[in-house]
Amino acid sequence: MCNLPIRVICRANAEYMSPSGKVPFIHVGNQVVSELGPIVQFVKAKGHSLSDGLDEVQKAEMKAYMELVNNMLLTAELYLQWCDDVTVEEITHPRYGSPYPWPLNRILSYQKQWEVRRKMKAIGWAGKTLEQVLEDVDQCCQALSQRLGTQPYFFNKQPTELDALVFGHLFTILTTQLITDELSEKVKNYSNLTAFCRRIEQQYFEGHDKDSCTVSVQSSKKSSLLK
Amino acid sequence: MGTVHARSLEPLPMAGPDFGALGEETELVEVEPETKQEILENKDVMRKSHEARERLLRLGIFRQVDVLIDTCQGDDALPNGLDVTFEVTELRRLTGSYNTMVGNNEGSMVLGLKFPNLFGRAEKVTFQFSYGTKETSYGLSFFKPRPGNFERNFSVNVYKVTGQFPWSSLRETDRGVSTEFNFPVWKTNHTLKWEGVWRELGCLARTASFSVREESGHSLKSSLSHAMVIDSRNSSILPKRGALLKINQELAGYTGGDVSFLKEDFEFQLNKQLLWDSVISTSVWGGMLVPIGDKPSSIADRFYLGGPTSVRGFSMYSIGPQSEGDYLGGEAYWAGGVHLYTPLPFRPGRGGFGDLFRTHFFLNAGNLCNLNYGDGPRAHLQRLAECIRWSYGAGIVLRLGNIARLELNYCFPMGVQAGDRICDGVQFGAGIRFL
Repeated sequence: MCNLPIRVICRANAEYMSPSGKVPFIHVGNQVVSELGPIVQFVKAKGHSLSDGLDEVQKAEMKAYMELVNNMLLTAELYLQWCDDVTVEEITHPRYGSPYPWPLNRILSYQKQWEVRRKMKAIGWAGKTLEQVLEDVDQCCQALSQRLGTQPYFFNKQPTELDALVFGHLFTILTTQLITDELSEKVKNYSNLTAFCRRIEQQYFEGHDKDSCTVSVQSSKKSSLLK
Repeated sequence: MGTVHARSLEPLPMAGPDFGALGEETELVEVEPETKQEILENKDVMRKSHEARERLLRLGIFRQVDVLIDTCQGDDALPNGLDVTFEVTELRRLTGSYNTMVGNNEGSMVLGLKFPNLFGRAEKVTFQFSYGTKETSYGLSFFKPRPGNFERNFSVNVYKVTGQFPWSSLRETDRGVSTEFNFPVWKTNHTLKWEGVWRELGCLARTASFSVREESGHSLKSSLSHAMVIDSRNSSILPKRGALLKINQELAGYTGGDVSFLKEDFEFQLNKQLLWDSVISTSVWGGMLVPIGDKPSSIADRFYLGGPTSVRGFSMYSIGPQSEGDYLGGEAYWAGGVHLYTPLPFRPGRGGFGDLFRTHFFLNAGNLCNLNYGDGPRAHLQRLAECIRWSYGAGIVLRLGNIARLELNYCFPMGVQAGDRICDGVQFGAGIRFL
């Protein structure tokens, strides 16, 4: 969205390459910066920013919504992938372990599963059922939908970091194949959100055919790698 | 306490250089002159019972072995017969040790347990556990020699080790299983080994270069290896004469795992004694790693060169391809050294402590590079022959038991290429295997 030249590369060990253990990360010259927050700071320090036109109140609001997305959507994605037994067995284990030979694929995916479940327990989501999680997702989408209204982007005419983050999550939810479609149905209930996703996809990613394929693969990989 | 009686002597075959301790000739026991003297001074009997005693001690299950030789007594005594009695004291069934170690900004507690003779045929089970402030590691190993033929043995190990390599800003954790068979064939000793290792690589610091960062992650190596050793030296540390040839090959990838390569390396050493108790020694090392398939080789499999134990005058493993100060290792290398060992000038402490020291003058050379395997062997040899790093100097060597040595050298590194880190001047080294 900032019109900076980038090249997207998919690696099986991206999670371990990152200095903080989380993807996405960027490698610029000699520096490696990981996670959305620091990447935005880094890009801002170099003079590019999407949220320059916002005043203080709006910036605070944007931060609040980004926190909401992180707490709700991200955690729901993790829950669905790692705590729902059917999905874990059929989709997540094969996908997470696919770059590795046996027995490493089983060992690593079980290790990841324990780690995510421990985190869920720590934030209190371990006791939630799938229905409760889907309810939370619904509420989050409702809040986002209300904020978006009929505008093209969350803050009027220009896209901001919030748009990028919401697009990343919603696009992944809409395009990733799971056992059931319940999660993507929840998002599809809000037509302005789906229109928003399509608009951003058309504007920024369908310009180059190859790129859109790479990006959609990257986005679906992101959903399994994004923590 | 048990007694082993041997009525008649079977011929015992000679074994390798670990016989006779430090390579000195075995001393024959003096016997008081008596009427039994003729029979008892049978040197053959002395030598063979000494050999048998050494072999019993080598099993590692006896604390003490005493040999008693006397003329035959009793009804069925032969006129010239001898009674050879081995009186042995066994080790305890379970021995343990506990140490603390401090070094490299880390303190650790090491616990060791050993069953020297588990099922009665010198099977050894050892367990070692090290718990440190930064890393923990453990190892469990089972060793079984063939009864009557100690040279043939096999062992199974399960281990987790962690290593930190500051020259590459790399941290490696290996968890693995290995089984190994040793057997002698004529004068050589062969080892066949299968090893399966789960390797986890990580960066040691945030400032690690991106080439090292790219190698982080998990991989599984499953490899078969074969090693052949011919050793005719009289001692493994500061030998006076003899030669050593070690050839090792490893094939990974065909028994599982995701790392696939063929690795060869060899080590050759020749020693000759000159006038006045000095020894000249030459050694050559070399190796090559050929990745199979289109994946490039991993930093954990490559060779490293440089340091007080190989080409002296350079910092530890700091020769060859590097990226932002992190040394990445190379796929082919060679190294050679010529050493002259002499006793200390003016021979202080002769006959005792002074004999552990030696002065040495050395000339070391070597090269390490990555090969582009499409080029052909001629291009490879050419690459290994250009930009040779070499060094010369002198120093003092201290021998530690029969296993290790310490060196303090003054080095002049030459042929330094851009990117190598040198250590000219005084360099200290400690280790088991030196060029």
